[in-house]
Amino acid sequence: MAEARTPTFARERRGIALAWIALLALMLTSLGSAYLKLGPWNMVAGLVIAGIKVAIVAWLFMRLRAAGALIRLAAVAGLGTWGLLLALSGVDYATRTLTSAAVQRPQQLLPVQAASAPRHALQ
Amino acid sequence: MTAATLARQSADETPDPDTGKLGMWVFLASELLFFGGLFIAYLYGRTHFPAGWAAGSRRTDVVLGTVNTALLLTSSAAVALAVACEDDDRRRRWTARLLALTAGLGAVFLVLKGVEWHAEWHEHLVPGPAFALPVAGAQQFFALYFVMTGLHGVHMIFGVGALGGLALGRARERPWAGARQIEVAALYWHFVDAIWIFLYPLLYLVDRHG
Repeated sequence: MAEARTPTFARERRGIALAWIALLALMLTSLGSAYLKLGPWNMVAGLVIAGIKVAIVAWLFMRLRAAGALIRLAAVAGLGTWGLLLALSGVDYATRTLTSAAVQRPQQLLPVQAASAPRHALQ
Repeated sequence: MTAATLARQSADETPDPDTGKLGMWVFLASELLFFGGLFIAYLYGRTHFPAGWAAGSRRTDVVLGTVNTALLLTSSAAVALAVACEDDDRRRRWTARLLALTAGLGAVFLVLKGVEWHAEWHEHLVPGPAFALPVAGAQQFFALYFVMTGLHGVHMIFGVGALGGLALGRARERPWAGARQIEVAALYWHFVDAIWIFLYPLLYLVDRHG
């Protein structure tokens, strides 16, 4: 029995080692890209690299690759629900102007409004 | 149906091997929404106050942040290996050691995070009347920074406790530290790692070239 399982363990160990190396390499890529002047693409690069890293963690370390349909469904449901939250909140905030609360005087918001840049000016 | 019949039935029914894992995945989905609201708040701040976000992020300690990221990625690989060892009869003696290594790396992460917070406190980067950066939005960045890293830190403390306990239990061959419990705890640890994977570029790497 142990002999039969050894190749499976060896394959899994090799996968974990390769994934670990890839994760560290991606981390350094993310760090390096932050020092390049890419405009809005700095944020895109950071998030895309983070997405790839999380996919590696979920697929290999969390064993989604070998998981059944029900577990995969639970994982996707969480992500999908967060996507809905993001989309609906985004619609709200993107269309709302900055106004003072009942406890604030309008001039208190002036420096904040002055610093509030156009929406497309991502760093 | 008599009580004896019920007792015999429940003794016959062994739970599905995926039950614990499915329960943890459902819990992690709810945790994603817990952190997800903060990520949305972050996105709002970054798109509306890019100058404040850039000024704030440049004051975070990118060296410690990167070291901590490497520690967490390594700890995730260690706990994944612990689960693989537990599944293999001949490697099972390594499980407890790898779990202890994972908990140890997590503890080092928490110490380094404490060092960072201590320095930030002394540099007046905690939002309040004496805040150091005169850029609109920078206080909001640091407010989110402390809430997100603090919440993540609380999850880390639970994870270190769970994996440290399982390492001890596995070394003493306690029945509550079996393969299923270890795999479920490992899922939680990977999730905490995944949250940090996103926190790293969002908190430490904004406008580094500026």
